[in-house]
Amino acid sequence: MSPMQTESTQRKIIMEGLWRNNPIFKQVLGICSTLAVTNLVMNTIVMCAALVFTLALSSMTVSILRGYTPRNIRMMVETLIIAFYVIIVDVLLKAYWPQMSTNLGPYVGLIITNCIVMGRCEAYGNSNPPGVAFLDGAFNALGYSFVLLIIATFREILGMGTFAGLAVPYFSSPAWDKWIIMVMPPGAFFMLGIVVWIFRSIQVEKEDKPK
Amino acid sequence: MREKKWFPIGYMFVVSAFFSSIIIAFARVTQVRVEANEKLAFERAVVTALPELGGAELTNAQVHQRFIEQVSEPDPSSGGAYALKQGGQVVAYAVPMSGQGFWAPIAGVIGVAADKQTVTGIAFYQQNETPGLGAEITKPAFRNQFKGKQLASGDKPIDMKRPGAELGASDVHAVTGATQTSTRLERIINEALRSWRSKMGQEGQPS
Repeated sequence: MSPMQTESTQRKIIMEGLWRNNPIFKQVLGICSTLAVTNLVMNTIVMCAALVFTLALSSMTVSILRGYTPRNIRMMVETLIIAFYVIIVDVLLKAYWPQMSTNLGPYVGLIITNCIVMGRCEAYGNSNPPGVAFLDGAFNALGYSFVLLIIATFREILGMGTFAGLAVPYFSSPAWDKWIIMVMPPGAFFMLGIVVWIFRSIQVEKEDKPK
Repeated sequence: MREKKWFPIGYMFVVSAFFSSIIIAFARVTQVRVEANEKLAFERAVVTALPELGGAELTNAQVHQRFIEQVSEPDPSSGGAYALKQGGQVVAYAVPMSGQGFWAPIAGVIGVAADKQTVTGIAFYQQNETPGLGAEITKPAFRNQFKGKQLASGDKPIDMKRPGAELGASDVHAVTGATQTSTRLERIINEALRSWRSKMGQEGQPS
């Protein structure tokens, strides 16, 4: 590939992951964790960082081994690789950030079964060189992260009157009757539905125009 | 070689062994730290629940130092509670408590002054309640309610009333939107206090 082509491939991967093929509102993958961890912004940030780490490195590792892994056991190998990185994150949190580790509870471990990770390893890592697989993983995870952060921001502000634990003017005052439901599971469904709706509408509009 | 029947099995073994050994090594290296963190979380809860030792503003090293120097381990005379002694006299007891919360076990410590009546504080070192709702039990706004409460004699040393209700000397407000966590926590606290009282052989035993 010429440098020109590589650059456009990279740009394409970035755009696909962040926008055109966004895991949350286009592929609708990994919804389980979206619902679970988005009631506080701080938890969401750490969860997203964990996902970027896991997804980028798993996809790359799957890609490195793709020439050797027999096809019929590739899912087993992929799960093993994903679990490997997730456990590393989990142990790191337990050792160096015990407070966050208790906050996230079982959800870090559940990244193993997050459909995005397996999905990207299967769809991309399995058939592309390590460098671009890493990039694809990282930007899919970032695409996931920014949507989650939007959801978390609304949920925390409306439900608790805070942003990442800091009081937000007006929303933290008695004038704002906190929407407790926003920090409970139903709030996640509402927010996710609204966010997917908005982003898809924007997407459709953009695709229609040039034609 | 790749066409051989045993290849996938052998491959899986090699890959598993490789990744597992890295994880095992990694977990070994951090194990000491993880255990220290757990122990420290407990010590911090004890120190926070007891009076005059400080609380959230203490560094880890200070927490550990105060715990070692001023808190004595449970023995029969303290009814299985940790005790804060000053000049040989017990100033307060830290009664450990634990039980099932809404999602996962809750464990903490409640501090009671030497009169066995006045609550000096409460702190938790393990819980996994809903962030923003049940998990509010760990926030000062909820915990500070307990300071200075007088334990009622009888079955319910501490009574949790619904938010907004009028409070008596042994009542605190439950957490809004977290009825399950609150009722379970109430049970955990009261069970721990009742069993501690009966071990202490004090008044206020259930009739």
